[in-house]
Amino acid sequence: MKKFTKILYLVLIMLFLYLPIGTLMVLSFNESKAMSVWSGFSLKWYKEMFSNSMIMEAVWNTFTIALIAAAAATLIGTVACIGISVMKKNSQNTIMALTNIPMLNADIVTGISLMMTFLVFGISLSRGTVLLSHITFCLPYVILSVMPKFKQATRITYEAALDLGASPVYAFIKVVLPEIRPGIVSGFLLSFTMSVDDFVITHFTRGAGINTISTLIYSQVKVGIRPTLFALSTLIFVTVLVLLIASNLSSGESKSKGKKVVSVVTTSMVILLLGGVMFASGITTKSTGDEVHVYCFGDYIDPELIDEFEEETGVKVIMDTFDTNEEMYPVIKNESVNYDVICASDYMIEKLAGEGLLAELNRENIPNYSNLMEEYMAASESFDKGNKYAVPHTIGTLGIIYNTNTVKEGEITSWNDLWKKKYEQRIVMPDSVRDTFAIALKAKGYSLNTTDEAEVKEAADYLIQQKPLVYKYANDSARDLILGGSVDIAVVWSGEVLYTQEENPDLSFVLPQEGSEQFTDCWAVPASASNKKNGELWINFMLKKSSAEKNYEYLTYSIPNKAVYDYVSDDENAMNVLFPEASVLEKCEALKNLGSEADDMYSVQWKKFKS
Amino acid sequence: MSRKFLSTPYLLWIACGTIVPLLVIAYYGLTDRSGAFTAANIKAIFSADHAQALGLSLLLAFISTVICFLLAYPLALILRNSKIGRNGFMVFIFILPMWMNFLLRTMAWQVILEKGGIINTMLTAMHLPPLEIINTPAAIVLGMVYDFLPFMVLPIFNTLMKIDDNIIEAAYDLGATKKNVLFDILLPLSIPGIASGVTMVFVPALTTFVISNMLGGGKILLIGNIIEQEFTTSSNWNLGSGLSLVMMIFIILSMAMLGKLDKDGEGSLI
Repeated sequence: MKKFTKILYLVLIMLFLYLPIGTLMVLSFNESKAMSVWSGFSLKWYKEMFSNSMIMEAVWNTFTIALIAAAAATLIGTVACIGISVMKKNSQNTIMALTNIPMLNADIVTGISLMMTFLVFGISLSRGTVLLSHITFCLPYVILSVMPKFKQATRITYEAALDLGASPVYAFIKVVLPEIRPGIVSGFLLSFTMSVDDFVITHFTRGAGINTISTLIYSQVKVGIRPTLFALSTLIFVTVLVLLIASNLSSGESKSKGKKVVSVVTTSMVILLLGGVMFASGITTKSTGDEVHVYCFGDYIDPELIDEFEEETGVKVIMDTFDTNEEMYPVIKNESVNYDVICASDYMIEKLAGEGLLAELNRENIPNYSNLMEEYMAASESFDKGNKYAVPHTIGTLGIIYNTNTVKEGEITSWNDLWKKKYEQRIVMPDSVRDTFAIALKAKGYSLNTTDEAEVKEAADYLIQQKPLVYKYANDSARDLILGGSVDIAVVWSGEVLYTQEENPDLSFVLPQEGSEQFTDCWAVPASASNKKNGELWINFMLKKSSAEKNYEYLTYSIPNKAVYDYVSDDENAMNVLFPEASVLEKCEALKNLGSEADDMYSVQWKKFKS
Repeated sequence: MSRKFLSTPYLLWIACGTIVPLLVIAYYGLTDRSGAFTAANIKAIFSADHAQALGLSLLLAFISTVICFLLAYPLALILRNSKIGRNGFMVFIFILPMWMNFLLRTMAWQVILEKGGIINTMLTAMHLPPLEIINTPAAIVLGMVYDFLPFMVLPIFNTLMKIDDNIIEAAYDLGATKKNVLFDILLPLSIPGIASGVTMVFVPALTTFVISNMLGGGKILLIGNIIEQEFTTSSNWNLGSGLSLVMMIFIILSMAMLGKLDKDGEGSLI
């Protein structure tokens, strides 16, 4: 009976540890993009994963950084342990205390402090800074696993070897090394695992366009996580599991634990390196010398278009991604990397153009310009006078989607409806300072770009009043929550709507009568572009009817291209969602940059509302 | 030529990678945007929003640490006394989940706990009342326990493994009950492991922003969320650094208290 309790306890803990992992694995085979709906078995995410060069690059980055960081940390750390072990007790204690700092300090503090240090000393963030940071936080793991082995190792055998005529180096290799090897191996393995699993420190210290698996996942929040990442994680997990079990079975009882670990590590390294080499050679063979450097939001075009572009033009695409306009801005301003074409939102285009950082487009090089819808070109003049610098890529508005099974069709027409008590715990609101405030400000009839403190305060109070009614503040998961039936009303971007309605036709979308927030994300060529022609070639390709359609199919965001308009024109609902009437659009506003003082004010009010 | 100098590269690395960054954070924390000295960023912790967030963070981190300990200790004991625990395979079972990205692992709990999620669909099918913990502090605690449990289990397991079986047998021979053995031998001897486990759970739990973001439904603001926001969305580095300094004081205090219990660094993770 007692034994049974013990086993039950073990099983329950295992269940707790592996339930989420199992869930993700199952979801990676889900036909649907939504996480809360099972719509059949499919391997399409696995296929998509291998053809997505961004994911493959993130994998490559993650494992090379982890490998180099772990190796460097193991080398520096082990050598340091030799030195530390002969020091006096006091200095030993001091060093060990210092070693513990990065280990016990919060990830966030380590990440932030390293980021600030790099920037203060004029080192721009890049792959190198990530690597240095990873070595920094891996070192303590090595020291802490090797040092105890040194303490256990008897000095007498080493000294005996010296007495018998061995050189110090020879004696070290033959006598000391075998004793401390398990420590070295576990230090290396632990560093490698920690480095692969790290998000926070990479998040703060990475340069533009450098993604690891973790940061790629975080960056997909903007457009919603695609199950390709579940597929990737499942694959990595299963690989490690299989290697582990295989080595455990083959090694039997006689081999030591250390050797098992070594064989697991070496086999996985070999596989990873082979994969990496194959991947790397895959990139380089395509090159013809002519390149276009693209800088774009993560996951913002259909990856298949990259291959199509390369095939059609013979120009190789080098794509870097960013999450926010604010992240992209300093890269363009400081010209730390020369891009030929970038993607940016309306207010950022205005700012870049105002500072002379964009090149005027030569329409002769962009014959597909005629595919764009005139009314949206006219609307773009609000941030790009004369349409000189920018070409719209996607447009979207913020609106309300609701389930007509539980909320009567037409019952929701205004932002203020989201404050009605009867929808308690059935609403999802956005979770980003400006978007969330935009809703309250619009509901109160103010501009969403107001810098009047009284108005922002009033909006904050209004949001506090609404808080008990809200089920969740979320950006990415609103779509999944409404599909899974967790909520009935959600604030979403128009680009999410059609996809969501495909899964559940009982959902209705409304653009509130007070007007809303809208955005236009555009392609533009930086003034610093080293190959402006190729930048324009890229824009021209994106404006091609077939490319626009493909992007629309992939993103389901509205693309102001006549081809897309014709493509959806028979569908009244889609037209309402993607191309709202001019009278509705008139009341919408795009976000503007308000300056740091106003940002601080919003931030103070935001914290007041959130805490 | 002394072997001591072999540690020079590492010492340089500590200086550049640990000490200098801490000085930079201290500098930013004690100045304002124009570079003038100010204590306002430190005092900011006493403003209602910040103090409340810090208080909640301390509370949730404390609860998670206690739960982790209560779950981990019996587990480590079971593993110590059984064959599967001794061949090292078990250790891998706890490190293995780390190979599934932790953002995804945490997000999976969303899918599991949601109002229309896996657990609640099952409960409704069985006509049981739904489990409504998503988007509440309880969900955050669950996420913390899930993510940090291995860091409690491994050090405790390691110190338990170091206890000589003969001591325990001697105790039984001298007429000790199972209770005596647990409270008078195993527990005192495993204190270094417990101390190190507690720090390794408490500190990340205190400072997390990802778990509260993903499982708190954006309704719960922990001190980590505030600091992250100051650096990313509000870009007020000075305030963010000031708050980081305050948070570090709490970490150093807890480290100092626990450090005394684990003087020789016995309770290591490895």
